[in-house]
Amino acid sequence: MRRFLYHIICIAFLMTAVNGYSQDQEQQQRKVTPVKPSTNKVLTPPKGTKEEIIQQYLTGDTAQAKAQERKDSLAKIYPHYPKLTELSLGLNFGDALLMAFGQKYSSFDLSATLNMWNRFQPVLIVGLGRAKDTPDDMNYTYTGKLSPYFKIGANYNFLFKNEPKYQLYAGVRLGFSTFKYDITDVTINNPYWGEYDQSYQLKGISSNALWGEFLLGLKVHIFSNWSLGWEAKFHGIFNSKKNESGNPWYIPGYGTKNGKWAFGLSLYYTIPLNKAHWPVKEEKKGSK
Amino acid sequence: MRRILQHITLAILLTASLAIISSCNDNCIGNSTGIPLAGFYNGDKQVTINNLTVYGIGAPNDSVIIDKTSAKSVYLPLRLTTSNCKYVFNYNTDGVPNDTLSLGYDAIPYFESHECGAMYNFRITSMEHTYHAIDSVRIPEPMITNADVVSIKIYVR
Repeated sequence: MRRFLYHIICIAFLMTAVNGYSQDQEQQQRKVTPVKPSTNKVLTPPKGTKEEIIQQYLTGDTAQAKAQERKDSLAKIYPHYPKLTELSLGLNFGDALLMAFGQKYSSFDLSATLNMWNRFQPVLIVGLGRAKDTPDDMNYTYTGKLSPYFKIGANYNFLFKNEPKYQLYAGVRLGFSTFKYDITDVTINNPYWGEYDQSYQLKGISSNALWGEFLLGLKVHIFSNWSLGWEAKFHGIFNSKKNESGNPWYIPGYGTKNGKWAFGLSLYYTIPLNKAHWPVKEEKKGSK
Repeated sequence: MRRILQHITLAILLTASLAIISSCNDNCIGNSTGIPLAGFYNGDKQVTINNLTVYGIGAPNDSVIIDKTSAKSVYLPLRLTTSNCKYVFNYNTDGVPNDTLSLGYDAIPYFESHECGAMYNFRITSMEHTYHAIDSVRIPEPMITNADVVSIKIYVR
């Protein structure tokens, strides 16, 4: 009997000890991870947030609201110009300048450039070119008759983030011309046979040429709707008509056949299109 | 922004100036007018003829083209005022008579380039020769330009 009481006392003691330990554990957990009370407080949106976005936040459409915020933010960095931004009409008079420095040929052309999204710019060019040269110590006069040329191509404006007033662009062109030229005042000597001052004339030699150009250009606003543009061109001939009477020296719109580089200077008149849809330039902070 | 554009403008102007200067090429390669070059051959091999004199019949002051010279080839200038030329090949060797070569041709006025100027090309239309030291004559390039190529092949015995 005594032994039996001893066992009961031991079991009761053990149960009391286990119960006390578990109560201590519960008290420790409550202290380490306190439960945050729930609240109905609404966060105030940043100042200047659109009402549409605020409504989206309030209705719980957080993802849509954030996407809209990002779109608005990007629109500030990348201003979006309309598809038809502006039309520029240009007159290339660079050769007139170079003729003053002794160049013996000239081309003048009119161009129409459509600025799309202030980025891509299809270009159409129509012009006339002529040449006349009697080189020193040579035996002929070359006359390139006034002949037409045509070019089509496109530019890519690197400054599309800025206003169209200032443009830095790279472009390609495909040019074609059909033309005629004369070779006159020819004198030829044949000393072995004693034939001196033999002469002939080649008139109305017809030819044509197809060529391509890579160019880098700059367009700068001067005043009102007027701009000035410079272009440096690297070009090459794809095909030119060969003739039994010779090779042309000058190709209208291209320049001299052996030349790989050309230079253009143009005056532009620009007509803005869809100006109501142009991005509005934000006022600087602090300015009135 | 405006400052950057000014720099770019200056760069383009400099590039254009350099381009204009570099494009001024005044080299002229080749003859100033078309002159047929005749080469001497034995079979497929080009050979040298020693002590050779060549002259054109009717040349002023009996001037010669080459005189007692060893030659693998010789230029035969064509007349501008006629449509045929006759040349004499004197071998200056006992027992070998002179040969004659006669060429008929059309003169074609031709503008070569800005640097080379205006000239004549020729199209050879007929040819005759004697058969002493010359075995046969072929004209692989009937169109005579200022290119430095053998237009007439003279096969010798």
